[in-house]
Amino acid sequence: MNAFSLRAPSRRALRGWGFALAVLSVILPALPLGPLFAQPPLPLAVLWAAYGWAAEDESGWRAPLTLALLGLLHDQLAGGPYGLFVLIYLSAYLIGRIAAVAMSAPNLVSLWGGFIFTALLTILIVVGVERLLAPIAVVPYAEAALITAIFFPLVRPLYMTAGASVRQGSRR
Amino acid sequence: MARRRSGVRRAGAGRRVPAGVLLAIVLVIGAVALIVARTSLGPSSDAVMQAGDDGAAAAGRVATGPARASEGFFSRLGGMWGATDRIEELEQENRELQAWRELAERLAERNARYEALLRMPADSFGEGADIENSIAAQLVLDSGGPFTRTLVANAGADHGVRNGYIAVNENGLIGRVVSVGRRASRVLMLDDYNSRIPVMGEASRVRAVLAGQATRPPELTTHPYQVQAPRMDFIVGAQSLREGERIITSGDGGLYPRGIPVGVARRQNDGSWRVALAAAQRPIDFVRIIPYVGVVSPEDEPVESEGPPLASSSSVAVISRQTMAPTATIPSTTAPPAQPRPRPQTPAQRPASTPAAATPPAAAPTEQPADPPPAEPQE
Repeated sequence: MNAFSLRAPSRRALRGWGFALAVLSVILPALPLGPLFAQPPLPLAVLWAAYGWAAEDESGWRAPLTLALLGLLHDQLAGGPYGLFVLIYLSAYLIGRIAAVAMSAPNLVSLWGGFIFTALLTILIVVGVERLLAPIAVVPYAEAALITAIFFPLVRPLYMTAGASVRQGSRR
Repeated sequence: MARRRSGVRRAGAGRRVPAGVLLAIVLVIGAVALIVARTSLGPSSDAVMQAGDDGAAAAGRVATGPARASEGFFSRLGGMWGATDRIEELEQENRELQAWRELAERLAERNARYEALLRMPADSFGEGADIENSIAAQLVLDSGGPFTRTLVANAGADHGVRNGYIAVNENGLIGRVVSVGRRASRVLMLDDYNSRIPVMGEASRVRAVLAGQATRPPELTTHPYQVQAPRMDFIVGAQSLREGERIITSGDGGLYPRGIPVGVARRQNDGSWRVALAAAQRPIDFVRIIPYVGVVSPEDEPVESEGPPLASSSSVAVISRQTMAPTATIPSTTAPPAQPRPRPQTPAQRPASTPAAATPPAAAPTEQPADPPPAEPQE
């Protein structure tokens, strides 16, 4: 019977799957595989990673560096100006840090609300870039960000824990 | 791991900013500097992006190889279902198209005679484009991102591609080369947010600017690939534009050659016009990159000629003679006889380098035209 018992995947395995999903969301839209693999409708999984890593690994240098590298790769593949996705992902990381400090006992609803807020702020950042720095299309990004926000509860375990124990000490 | 280190403030300790946050802030500043630098220098000067495109194109070829192979296999497998019905449907469609072809040939012949009467220059495909030296390439990467609409083709400077060359597929215009690496080039597509192309209606000659929106209008469901329907702005004489009219490049501005098919005009509910792109009829796979040399501008110095541009044999004079009632005199014996119409050229007889759109087919020799052939004007 033990052979058939289901064991919950370890935290490390979940994080590995989350990282793989983030990388795939950068690479897949660049391959000519058809409209289903464009962005949108594919979500921006790196936004999930940025928000989750901000809450879970906020003091390390690996998270921002990984996000910057993923952003540069995304910029290269998408042909957009270098730095645009770096700015978006790192902004989500910094906003996620503020949200992590602000939320004392997060549950799924508050985490979801925090992520929606983060996604909306990244849309505002894109609007600012469009107005001030470079002519880019805002509407498709807004669609992709909204899709990403809607699917957040489904993938949340891959990036962060909803329990309060991990985040205790955020509000000291 | 979720260990908290520097983020936790101890009693009595000062507020410390975690190293990760500091690094993120520095990287954000660097990202903004990169965007500003790219915007001020322009895309053509980005050597790093071009080198990156070469590497990404090589990786894309490897990554999409299995997908392309399996795509053909599954499409063949799917085609086996209902093959008989499909054959009958195609035969019926073929019979209908035969009738349309005969009509088109008659109209093309009549149109050719009218153009000869008016002495119009040929309205050729891609006037000014060096079609004979076009470069065939395959799409290996698609931007797929929300900001830009570009694609990477596997032909670069080593194959002769240069910035500004035109990319078309078998259906029509795709875009323009904006960045060239050694073995790959990036094409800015028509539906990109930054794309602005002067176009005109083929029949009405209404001029407009085709503006890419990078949005997702309903046309996407009827056209299977990512290319979307750009909006038409600054339409001159919009009341003359007709629903379903073919849209071609006008050549204004000199970035695109004149006469390349772009798509079909579609009127929206709000009164605006969009173009259902011809290139989006099928998935974009192979592209043809055409060198564009531009139309030669007139000389600065006036050219010596034998007479005024509109002499007695000008088209104006010819039209006036053709529309006047003939005088009741015996025709001159010196008048040249009416020339027989040329035999129709089948596609196999047509020169390979000549695009089909450039030479409309003539009618069959046995076919009697509705109007008598025009006689040559007497001098």
